Amino acid sequence: MNAPMIRCRQLTKSYRKGKTVVTPLEALDLDVPAGEFLALMGPSGSGKTTLLNLLSGIDSPTAGSLEIAGEDIARLSRRELTAWRARHVGYIFQLYHLVPVLTAFENVELPLLLSKLSKKERHARVATALDLVGLGDRVHHVPAELSGGQEQRVAIARAIVANPSLLVADEPTGDLDRDSAARILDLLRGLARDHGKTIVMVTHDARAAAAADRTLHLEKGQLLGDACGHS
Amino acid sequence: MLPFHYAARNLLRSKSRLLQTIGGSALVVLLVMAAVAINQGMNRVLSASGSPRNVILLGTGSEESVQRSEVAAAAAGIAAAGIPGVSEELGTRAVSPEIHYMNHLGLPGGQRSQALIRGVTPEALRVHPEVRITGGTFPRAGQVMAGRLAWRKLGIGEDSLRVGSEVTLDGQSLTVSGIFAAPGTVLESEIWAPLGDLHVLARRESLSCVVLRLDDPADFTEADLFAKQRLDLELSAMRESDYYGQLRHFFKPLRVMIWITAGLIASGAVLGGINTLYAAFASRVRELATLQSIGFSRRTLLWSLVQESTLACLTGTLLASAAAVLLLDGRTVPFSIGSFTVEIGPDVALAGILTGALLGLLGALPPAIRCLKPPLPAALRMS
Ligand SMILES: Nc1ncnc2c1ncn2[C@@H]1O[C@H](COP(=O)(O)OP(=O)(O)OP(=O)(O)O)[C@@H](O)[C@H]1O
Ligand SMILES: [Mg+2]
Repeated sequence: MNAPMIRCRQLTKSYRKGKTVVTPLEALDLDVPAGEFLALMGPSGSGKTTLLNLLSGIDSPTAGSLEIAGEDIARLSRRELTAWRARHVGYIFQLYHLVPVLTAFENVELPLLLSKLSKKERHARVATALDLVGLGDRVHHVPAELSGGQEQRVAIARAIVANPSLLVADEPTGDLDRDSAARILDLLRGLARDHGKTIVMVTHDARAAAAADRTLHLEKGQLLGDACGHS
Repeated sequence: MLPFHYAARNLLRSKSRLLQTIGGSALVVLLVMAAVAINQGMNRVLSASGSPRNVILLGTGSEESVQRSEVAAAAAGIAAAGIPGVSEELGTRAVSPEIHYMNHLGLPGGQRSQALIRGVTPEALRVHPEVRITGGTFPRAGQVMAGRLAWRKLGIGEDSLRVGSEVTLDGQSLTVSGIFAAPGTVLESEIWAPLGDLHVLARRESLSCVVLRLDDPADFTEADLFAKQRLDLELSAMRESDYYGQLRHFFKPLRVMIWITAGLIASGAVLGGINTLYAAFASRVRELATLQSIGFSRRTLLWSLVQESTLACLTGTLLASAAAVLLLDGRTVPFSIGSFTVEIGPDVALAGILTGALLGLLGALPPAIRCLKPPLPAALRMS
């Protein structure tokens, strides 16, 4: 058995809010094998976004260990984490978070601006990513001229264009109609199955969770059941 | 590195904010350019007005003000004979006895304005060779000669003071016999009258000063020695260039006031501009956080925000420069002893460009740092 893509042990995150301390995640253990598409469910405030933020290096844990692809990212400094994110993670947001003044093409190109690729190579990769998400024609439109489903596909293209091994998605279908949501889920499943991406997706929707290989439930900062075994 | 067009397009996100930023920076740059140009203009005219070859003999104790100085009428002749090194032409020495008299002049149209009237003999033209009569003649009794820019200093129309115009001084009517130029000096703003007339009109026997022209500036020591030895004449010798240098010092508080005024208005504009930038950046906190989540460092984002504000401020600088050239360049500005010309030269332009660049650079820092500060999870949550 290979080392898992994600390995959390006693992962804890707490925030100080004035004098009180909130602990959205407490002593959480989790293994996610490479190439798995994992769905995370749980009530509002259960710590789902907090967990995604830790897995993607957007936030740092208060305690515990967090290994991604064998590297303990809990030890990285803020600056090291920034560089690490650029190479290893793609983040997909519920509200897409595209840059409004840039076209779809330019949005997707953003992560590649951090690489040493030539302009030609960058453009080839952007075109490939946009093809993969099925957005070949509207690439020179700005986000305001796209539908929600198209925006989310641009966001996915942006998340995968630098070829990260880990994708995290926070309610990626939360703002979409059923058809658009289904296309997005197909896309994510394909990325896990055909491209070997490890995907952690937060969702409130059981139908969306059904698209994943495995579903875990988070409640009050704890995962229900055994999150380290494999089904 | 974020592309430059990201910064440029961000500017166009809100036209009103863009206009505010450009307008504010243009105002600040224009004020700085105006203050520098006024300073330069005043200094330029004062340093051009005094020649190191000229010596002014003043009454002891009146070194700060020619107008208050008293010199015996006989001193001119004694000095001419007693000081070696005075320029000589056709047997006469370049020595100019003068009365400097500040009083109100009645002008055509009934207006009255404070004027500096210099009582002179034709010798004055040899001591002040920069003076050229451009129209009419040197004044005789009952006449005066007006400097080319005297109208500006007197606050009347350019056409009101021409050869043949009538002015009044202490109830006496005088005819303008000529107009003279003395480019770049305060002399151009003066009124020259015959020395004899001024003795009468100013009711004084004495002179204000005697001006000598030397062949060699080094001979000043001779003039100084003369003044110190002839205690009976109660004279003090001063280089004309030093005299105007001292005036430059005298006007320093005025120049400081100009800077303070410009600074006060400008700081209002700067604060307004920073506020506008803050509003612009604050509306993008989540976007800035998204870019960080993609892997852009805060330094990269800061640089992009600085580019954005610098682009706006340099546009403002361009507008301010155009306004300075159109509105300020070549203007003559009167002050108490004359008037000076405002020139928008390379120095002034450079000061404007530096101000604009600095505004863009430093103005963006406080709002940018504030908007990049919130931790990523919190910033990503913002709507
Ligand atoms: N930056 C923060 N500072 C303080 N408290 C925070 C912060 N981020 C999250 N929390 C708290 O941690 C808890 C979990 O938040 P989190 O956003 O992870 O929940 P969630 O499961 O994603 O909820 P939702 O389904 O509503 O998105 C909440 O009680 C929240 O208030
Ligand atoms: Mg959440």
